[in-house]
Amino acid sequence: MLAFADLVFYMFAAMLLGSAMGVIFAKNPMHCVLLLILTFFNAAGLFILLGAEFIGLLLVMVYVGAIAVMFLFVLMTIDIDFAVLKEGFASYLPSGLIVGAVLMAELVIAGQAGLFSGARISTLTAMPAPDGVENIRALGQVLFTHYLFPFQVAALILLVAMIGAIVLTHRRREGVRRQNVMAQIARTREDSLSIVKVKPGQGI
Amino acid sequence: MLSTVGLTHYLVVAAVLFTLGVLGIFINRKNIILVLMCIEMMLLAVNINMVSFSAFLHDLAGQVFTFFILTVAAAEVAIGLAIVTVFFRNRGSIEVDDTNMMKG
Amino acid sequence: MTPFNMMPFDWFAVAPALPEVFLACAAMGLLIVGVFSRGEVASRSVGGLALVSLVVTYVIMHAAKVADFQQAFPKGAVGFMFVADEFAFYAKGLILAAGVFSILLTPDFMNRNSINKFEYYVLITLATLGMMIMVSANDLLAMYVGMELMSFCLYILAAFWRDNLKSSEAGLKYFVLGSLASGLMLYGMSLLYGMTGDTSFDGIGILLGNGLPNIEHSVAITVALVLMIVAMAFKVSAVPFHMWTPDVYEGAPTPVTVFMATAPKAAAMLLMMRVLYQPLLALEDQWMQMLTVLSLLTMGIGSLLAIVQTNIKRLLAYSSIGNVGFMLVGVVAGTEDGVQGVLVYLAIYLTMTIGLFAVLLSLRRKNVFVETIDDLAGLARTAPGAAFAMMLITFSLAGVPPLVGFFGKFYVFSAAIAAGQTWLAISGVLFSVIAAYYCLRIVKVMYFDEGKFRPELNQPSNAQWIAVLAAAGVLVMSVFIDVLDHTAGRAASSLFRLEHTVARH
Repeated sequence: MLAFADLVFYMFAAMLLGSAMGVIFAKNPMHCVLLLILTFFNAAGLFILLGAEFIGLLLVMVYVGAIAVMFLFVLMTIDIDFAVLKEGFASYLPSGLIVGAVLMAELVIAGQAGLFSGARISTLTAMPAPDGVENIRALGQVLFTHYLFPFQVAALILLVAMIGAIVLTHRRREGVRRQNVMAQIARTREDSLSIVKVKPGQGI
Repeated sequence: MLSTVGLTHYLVVAAVLFTLGVLGIFINRKNIILVLMCIEMMLLAVNINMVSFSAFLHDLAGQVFTFFILTVAAAEVAIGLAIVTVFFRNRGSIEVDDTNMMKG
Repeated sequence: MTPFNMMPFDWFAVAPALPEVFLACAAMGLLIVGVFSRGEVASRSVGGLALVSLVVTYVIMHAAKVADFQQAFPKGAVGFMFVADEFAFYAKGLILAAGVFSILLTPDFMNRNSINKFEYYVLITLATLGMMIMVSANDLLAMYVGMELMSFCLYILAAFWRDNLKSSEAGLKYFVLGSLASGLMLYGMSLLYGMTGDTSFDGIGILLGNGLPNIEHSVAITVALVLMIVAMAFKVSAVPFHMWTPDVYEGAPTPVTVFMATAPKAAAMLLMMRVLYQPLLALEDQWMQMLTVLSLLTMGIGSLLAIVQTNIKRLLAYSSIGNVGFMLVGVVAGTEDGVQGVLVYLAIYLTMTIGLFAVLLSLRRKNVFVETIDDLAGLARTAPGAAFAMMLITFSLAGVPPLVGFFGKFYVFSAAIAAGQTWLAISGVLFSVIAAYYCLRIVKVMYFDEGKFRPELNQPSNAQWIAVLAAAGVLVMSVFIDVLDHTAGRAASSLFRLEHTVARH
């Protein structure tokens, strides 16, 4: 009989791989995105099962909340005939399957290599996880001290992504009226109002 | 009851997911958006590897690494989709497998 | 190891990374300057300031080296992931120089195609920063973030000419293949982390060296090694992972191509040497075989396919692939001399590449810059100075003895022979004879053919004086080759400082 945790693992793992298969074989790209979201949810489940709650929650927030939405957004704004893009699928399949089979065999062998059968792989740990501290607190304590350097570089990477997205896709459209706050504030009574004396019966 | 699921189980799941990602890139190479999704799946496989090693080594470095991979992946998708959008504007399609323009 | 809750943050630990900190702040400053100034002024002032920041970064780096910050603050919040040794110093010198010359070559081309936006210079600055982090990385994590910072900037820069189909296709291709490569590299890193339990280069080096019995024979380690070599081979564009290079070089705006052919190539090569000679040194037997094959293929394909190219940017792409092959011979030698040879070769390669592109960027007809080799026909009559500079540089590229290109090849091949890789060196010499053919073809077209394009000199532009400088460089550097060799020697020996590897644990 399986332990409950094992049962949960097999459920998440099966769903994860099943929906991943769906992503690469589905006909409609919209379904692909939705299956991708399912894949990420199940991976988050596995992470929480492993005791990495923070990463699990982060996965849901970043991937489902941001990345998947970005995919959906682009799919909806770009108007293309996706059926055409599925052409050639069958012809690529055999070569793809061969590459996949070889790669998977290697990776699985690597995963099961003798060293993994022991309880402990290495005696060394880079950043030992403390006992009795919640996962989020433990990560927070090292992220801003020990890992400050890559943290700052990651911030720069996000800055680059922002600059890139703007410089590549932003277009200044002609004929769009924009709000100019400075001009609004700088308006005075003199340039916008004139008092005209209208004589009765003559109009302006 | 003792759990029978060990590190190897997680690593095999990650290996299969990684392979699916690579396979997906191969068979969907015409649809660039699907290729991006497959790259995300490869990164997810790496994350599963990292987190399971981290858990079984009782070491935080793997989880911190995953944190950074997640951040970088988000930036990567933003840049990728921006380039796809520019390409689409110039081309009117997102097919990359056309050899008219350039070879290779 | 520091106990978990007692990691006080020591601000002085940042000191060795002061040049990087400055450049990061400068990049953000440039962005602000660009946003608050308008139109033409924005790109001109940001370009100038970017140039100044790169030079100031070099000055700070020199000062930090003189003050020996690395010794004064050996480990700390930054120190353990970051190493500022002689090797990194040499590497950053090359990278900053390449960045400065790429910026100088930019404005004219960008103005003529009306894509002169200030973000370009910000991205070049950030890419340079990424490369500096890469070559100073002492941890898998720092290596990864540095590499991605560089790559993301390059993806955007390749697609920078956004109304041009070729440019956006180049960006797309580079992006997809680059992301695939970094995915493979990450999988390798995860296995390496899992097997050793550490992400730092020092820790991995020790564990693979003598920490765990028979770990070097484990399949997982071999798979990790293969995946990481594939990714780095992609970054230096070694055959068979070179497919993107000609397309991206051709499609990207020429100033971006100048940048991509110089700084990132050097950075990736230097990172590759650090990774192979520090953490993965224990696996030398395995990676040496792989790199020997890569080196042979790269020299061969690069030299042979360069001959059949008609587009000059594609030709230079294949030529750079061939040069990477020659450099890999030095890496495979596995000795300090080999690394020293590669370092000298890199400096020479950067000079020649910048020179060639400077000549191309100084020749145009109206707003069209030279594209094909036939466009250069009759250049000796229309612009004799440019033709002469081009001839000197191509002869140097071919390895004609008095010019400096010869010395680069001489150093790597003699290091390979000294290390017992005689047949690899001999095939290297053979391939460089083949490579000489396409170099001579350019000279022949310029001096003996009659052309229709009739390019004119671009009056007055930075490209001209940079071309003159590079042409003078290939002549004069041969005289001062000892100085370069000496500097490279010190850099190479710092890479082999094994006591530094043992110190941490």
